[in-house]
Amino acid sequence: MSSTPLTIEVPRVPVGPWFDSAIDWLRDNLGPLFDVIGAVIGACVDWLAALLTVPTAAQLTLIAALVVAAGLLARRGNIRGGAIPTLAALAAWAVLSLVEALAGGVALVIGSLPAPLFLWAMNLFGASYVHPPLVLALLLLAALVVVSLTATRDRRQWLLAVGAAVATVALFVLHHIVGVPLDLLVLLLFVALAQVVSGWRLALFAFLGFLLIVSMDKWEAAMSSLALILVATAVAVAISVPIGVLAAYNDRVSRLIKPILDFMQTLPAFVYLIPAISFFSIGQVPGVIATVIFAMPPGVRLTELGIRQVDRELVEAGEAFGAPPLQILRRVQLPLALATIMAGVNQVIMLSLSMVVIAGMVGAGGLGNDVYSGIARSDVALGFEGGIAVVVLAIFLDRLTGAVTRFSPAARAQRASR
Amino acid sequence: MPAVRAEKLYKVFGRRADRAVELLADGRHRDEIADLNVTAAVIDVSFEVSPGEIFVVMGLSGSGKSTLIRMLNGLLEPTSGTVEVAGTDITRLSAAELRRVRSEKISMVFQHFALFPHRTVLDNAAYGLEVRGIAREERVRKARESLELVGLAGWEERLPTQLSGGMQQRVGLARALAADTDIILMDEAFSALDPLIRRDMQTQLLELQASLGKTIIFITHDLNEAMRLGDRICVLRDGRVAQIGTAQEILDSPNSDYVARFVEDVDRTRVLTAGSVMAPPTAVDSGQDPREALRAMREAGTDRAFVLDPQRRLLGVVNADALDRADDAEGLGSVLDTGVHRVGPATAVADLFHRAAGTPHPIAVVDGSDRLLGAVARDTLLAALAPPGHDAGEKDTATAVAAGVAVDGGEAR
Ligand SMILES: Nc1ncnc2c1ncn2[C@@H]1O[C@H](COP(=O)(O)OP(=O)(O)OP(=O)(O)O)[C@@H](O)[C@H]1O
Ligand SMILES: [Mg+2]
Repeated sequence: MSSTPLTIEVPRVPVGPWFDSAIDWLRDNLGPLFDVIGAVIGACVDWLAALLTVPTAAQLTLIAALVVAAGLLARRGNIRGGAIPTLAALAAWAVLSLVEALAGGVALVIGSLPAPLFLWAMNLFGASYVHPPLVLALLLLAALVVVSLTATRDRRQWLLAVGAAVATVALFVLHHIVGVPLDLLVLLLFVALAQVVSGWRLALFAFLGFLLIVSMDKWEAAMSSLALILVATAVAVAISVPIGVLAAYNDRVSRLIKPILDFMQTLPAFVYLIPAISFFSIGQVPGVIATVIFAMPPGVRLTELGIRQVDRELVEAGEAFGAPPLQILRRVQLPLALATIMAGVNQVIMLSLSMVVIAGMVGAGGLGNDVYSGIARSDVALGFEGGIAVVVLAIFLDRLTGAVTRFSPAARAQRASR
Repeated sequence: MPAVRAEKLYKVFGRRADRAVELLADGRHRDEIADLNVTAAVIDVSFEVSPGEIFVVMGLSGSGKSTLIRMLNGLLEPTSGTVEVAGTDITRLSAAELRRVRSEKISMVFQHFALFPHRTVLDNAAYGLEVRGIAREERVRKARESLELVGLAGWEERLPTQLSGGMQQRVGLARALAADTDIILMDEAFSALDPLIRRDMQTQLLELQASLGKTIIFITHDLNEAMRLGDRICVLRDGRVAQIGTAQEILDSPNSDYVARFVEDVDRTRVLTAGSVMAPPTAVDSGQDPREALRAMREAGTDRAFVLDPQRRLLGVVNADALDRADDAEGLGSVLDTGVHRVGPATAVADLFHRAAGTPHPIAVVDGSDRLLGAVARDTLLAALAPPGHDAGEKDTATAVAAGVAVDGGEAR
């Protein structure tokens, strides 16, 4: 008797097609929502990339003003009137900018003022008319410097205000009179940031590293990638921190999201690109979306961990004095978990960086594009230079976020105990 | 109205808590319901705490003390029974109302201090007021005041981690005091401190309570601490109340073998304080003339009386013999003996012996501003030493016999 080999049919489960049709369904029914998300993210990335590559004088002035304002707000306890003068100046600026953007009213006012007031500036910028946003930004900076000098006795705030104003003018002079290109100016700002947040070592590294990027002619690509990373990180943090908080509060949520996070983190990163393209077509936006999904899990995990680590007795103390849950979260749990949450943010940024190259495949541009075309054309030089630029960005961002943790309340308390 | 009243409180952890409460109410021990898979932490506890009292809850580890105190401010919800704070049943309140009760009526000091490490000492002390939404200037002022009360003036800008354990717990105490609630819960507040600092803190707590008149519910597993601090003591055993009474009652008439064994090894002279053994004093007014004073003393059946000024401040002692000889016209001043020992109510009985030995007068127990609270005569002192179980007749002989020993008071320690 001849025996036929036993065959067991395992039915084909159409997982892929299911997934595909689910995505089709989503796109058909929620299309407009995705369009809006895509538009907003695209606009953010473009704006940020432009700011990093070719900042306008108004933007630079505004950055200086915001730095001064941040100093004032941080010291509001020692300032006459507290936060009010600072907030009033910011609000006035916001209203005037809005009026200018919508109706152009500010330009008319400026036009009616005596010309000699502005001639010097027009000469400086070689411009034939006064740019209203710049005027508004300069006024804001001036107002905040005045507030700093009059309302507080804090030497450090004086130094900050005067320093910011001087730096702004110095940048203008360097660019418009000396003729230093904009990318080198932005580079100087990065160096200053590194110096303040971390120290001279990172500042030195930033100077040399970014100079290398400039010399490899990768500045524009690097800034475009940086913009993509920053936007993706911002979105990822905005989503993952609240989820992490929920998971810390609720064991059931925690158990539910754990496998989802594992799934998100282990699915090969390329796979995200396919649905991302079908939702947002090709370009930077699918790059950002895929990056967000891929980079989010550590943000959730470390937020949950950080909040769960906060001493149970401290939360109980808050409750015993009658504080409502949200207040306990904001004033006790989040400050004490900040160092851990920042470690999560650091992880998010690192994962975003690794995703940037992959996102280059869907036309996200930037360094990823260079690396990808390097591979496609087997152009070692192009690919390698792109890769080096990624490494410089990675080290800079990693050390920078690592150093930010230093400013967290818990870290301050720990230093004090030594 | 009692400051806090607990009525048939139960707390059972686990799914079948309600069934467990039924069984426990029938008088089962908590080990007998092990098959329900629940932990009965607090079983049928009822007590009242009057305003201004220090009420101590004492029990071994796992006897349910922490669970009990957390039900008093609603951090834990009772499985059954009610808790009244200043007349309000807090088990019926909504979450928001309960938070208000906590921030306005009842604050807490924690075993491991539970100070916020990221806030300065000042901001920690001001926390209760901050939660209540009080303006910064006001809360800073009050926090400074209470830090000064606990002896931490000058440390406001430090962070808690820069302070020693004893100082940190003072911040914890200042935080509770600044919140300005009538009731303070203290869960093993001094257990994490070393013995010397612990004694200091106990003394400080007694002084603060005497001047501020707070109602304090204090938890401890240390009998000596309980006896020293408590106006009344509640002994918990396996979640149930074993006995509630003053230190003296618990020492003299323990109502079960458990409590008796508990207090067996207690050094009574260390545990009992002048405040707990003192008797109401015979006192006369400095304005009275000698004859009136003499009559008052005969009525009270004593031959010595304290002389007080109109504010009840202690001036000295007079005795009957001297009064007999005194001239009516000269008043009490001429026969006043100012050589009387004064002690605070927190002084341990052990520290009274050498004082009692040196003078024929009773020892005066006075408060911080020298007002007379009570008197400790030599025989009261010795009676306090008698172990429980002696009836009144034996006590008298014990006193008579011991009287000879008491003169060399050093022996008693
Ligand atoms: N959340 C909880 N879930 C389950 N069981 C609990 C819980 N909290 C306390 N218990 C149990 O209740 C009992 C009483 O605990 P509690 O903490 O009140 O004791 P305690 O007298 O304060 O002891 P200690 O001196 O160790 O602090 C213990 O057996 C404990 O294991
Ligand atoms: Mg306990």
